[in-house]
Amino acid sequence: MNVPGVRCIGVSKKFRRGEHHDSLRSVIASFARSLRSRPPAATVSDREFWALRDVTFEVGPGQAVGIIGANGAGKSTLLKVLTRVLRPTTGTIDVYGRQGALIEIAAGFHPDLTGRENVALQGSIMGMPAAEIARKFDQIVEFAGVSDFIDTPVKRYSSGMNARLGFAIAAHLDPDVLIIDEVLSVGDLAFQQKAFGRIQDLVKSGIPVVVVSHQLDRVSQLCTHAILLDHGSVICQGTPAECIAEYLNPRRQGFTASAAESPAVIDRVTLETEDEVVSGGSLRVRIEGSVGAGGVPSHVDPAVVLVMNAASGALVCAIGSSGSNITIAEGAFAIDVELQMNVPRGLYVIQAAVWNRRTEQALGAGPSLVVQVGEGIVFAGPVQLNGRMALAGLAARA
Amino acid sequence: MISAEQISQAGRAREVEPGYSFRGALVEIVRELLATRELTRQLILRDLRIRYKQAVFGVLWAVLMPGLIVLSGLVIRFAVVQMTGSSFDRRMAAALAVKSLAWGFFIGAIGLATPSLTANSNLVTKVHFPREVLPLSAILAQGVDSGIGAVIFLLITPFLGLGVSANLLWLPVLLALLLCLTLAAGLLFSCANAFFRDVKYLVQMFITFGIFYTPIFYEPATLGPVGAKLIMLNPVTPLLEGLRLAVVEGHNLLVPLTTQAAKGVIVVWSPWYLAYSAAVAVVGLVASALIFHRAEAVYAEYV
Repeated sequence: MNVPGVRCIGVSKKFRRGEHHDSLRSVIASFARSLRSRPPAATVSDREFWALRDVTFEVGPGQAVGIIGANGAGKSTLLKVLTRVLRPTTGTIDVYGRQGALIEIAAGFHPDLTGRENVALQGSIMGMPAAEIARKFDQIVEFAGVSDFIDTPVKRYSSGMNARLGFAIAAHLDPDVLIIDEVLSVGDLAFQQKAFGRIQDLVKSGIPVVVVSHQLDRVSQLCTHAILLDHGSVICQGTPAECIAEYLNPRRQGFTASAAESPAVIDRVTLETEDEVVSGGSLRVRIEGSVGAGGVPSHVDPAVVLVMNAASGALVCAIGSSGSNITIAEGAFAIDVELQMNVPRGLYVIQAAVWNRRTEQALGAGPSLVVQVGEGIVFAGPVQLNGRMALAGLAARA
Repeated sequence: MISAEQISQAGRAREVEPGYSFRGALVEIVRELLATRELTRQLILRDLRIRYKQAVFGVLWAVLMPGLIVLSGLVIRFAVVQMTGSSFDRRMAAALAVKSLAWGFFIGAIGLATPSLTANSNLVTKVHFPREVLPLSAILAQGVDSGIGAVIFLLITPFLGLGVSANLLWLPVLLALLLCLTLAAGLLFSCANAFFRDVKYLVQMFITFGIFYTPIFYEPATLGPVGAKLIMLNPVTPLLEGLRLAVVEGHNLLVPLTTQAAKGVIVVWSPWYLAYSAAVAVVGLVASALIFHRAEAVYAEYV
């Protein structure tokens, strides 16, 4: 492969749970113990776990892969394996081209050194030649917005300044392959925008990118592909929308009761309109399912639609069939849901579920959809109040 | 994006580990270190800047350690002179200074190199670079320090009655061997300390008491015919004695040197002593570098 890229084939990584011997004293002591009594039968399998299990993917030019998953899913381990900090237990990783990593961007900073000295140090840690650091120095300082403090030791920096300078150095690498770990939330809102713009430019320039982030809306904006990890295994591999929908599916979130208890099932959820709308635009969703032989108890709603913010997972809106005066005694049903997306732009998940109103739990969760809401009516805040202003009176100037 | 099924076939073929070659590993170490010269330079600068930045002593740091060793040695020499009634020679002070500088470098460098992987754990667990640069830069930073000490020593040489001879050409050879020996120890101890945290306490002990097993305050000849040979087993001893003979006495190290004592003939110097030291330094360096490099892939999981 001559073009830059990352190829990750059947990568697994095994870690040991608990403490291992980290001093000669404890090794000698446990060795002496083991001479007297045989150690308990092999507990190796209990003490080991797979942080990554058979992960395979490839990223080529023009592709950006987002890796999502809950804490402990193996995202950071995967990135450390990709950046060769950790060696995989099995499998192979090939990185073609110069690799740039936006990981723990201020890791090499020494608090007693000035910003200027730390730029040189951190740049060399990231593999920049001295001449390149010197050439880009002004750009880096300007991007970080710390020019007034560049000769001050970084221990006097605010945490935001520290992170901004770290990001600025990393962002001025000229990598063939870019690996980004959760650095999209650096600094204040203004800097976050700037940093995101910089990363977007890098992605648009066509270099292969691997991103780990919890900010799902960012992943859906940046990435062409996504991978959902859970306990080290790949659960879903496809478009960002598919993976985000799967990630936010209540079945995975663990707030569903067992499916066997559910008196109704939802089989299909289809979007009748385009999967991209603007704020204020309308969506139509069709839910198809069936109610079991016994019918549904009065406190169970056979079809509820939940709209969630994909970035935060927060519930935006819920609409239920019983609230809409629909009663389904038994058998198959199809319900059309019309939603006016009066929400700020971003990524939203539409989830159908059988809902128990008494326990506030989803009984059977149906498939989910992801909808991208674009810029439409203006939201100056989280909600849009249809505010209008009119001039009511004006005093005449003396 | 390619699915797992499509490339799993290619993956199987590549899982076979290539055969291990010592030569290949050594070439790799050297190539990686050359490629990361700038990082090594920056880490040396970092260590020096931190040491001198907020220190009241400033450059005095560089002469403090060897200066203290010289002073301690002078006290002991003075006591011996008082006891035996012999006379005190300016050359004794010169020999002490030369040995103290070399010993100060050796223990200072090892003291800094041993915890270098664990002290930089924030880097080791997050960024990939050849880990050898950490002990290497710690040792070289101490080298710069000791170099400053050596320059100050040069300024006072006229008062110590030292002359210039062709045998000063031994100096670079001896210093190169001392550097090899220091690198060997530094790589080995820093690697061991990554896995066992108490290694640095052991090394600290070794540094503290090492001065009794290395002839700095005394001459090997004072240990008698057998003792003078046994003390040469310490690979640092021939290097320090070589420095004293070549720099202070103007002796050619290819020529053996013996003295007649009451208990028999004492071999003060033999070229074989130097050959032994050189062998330990070079073989040790190659072995430590290979061990260090072999363990490189797992440092991030242990530090």
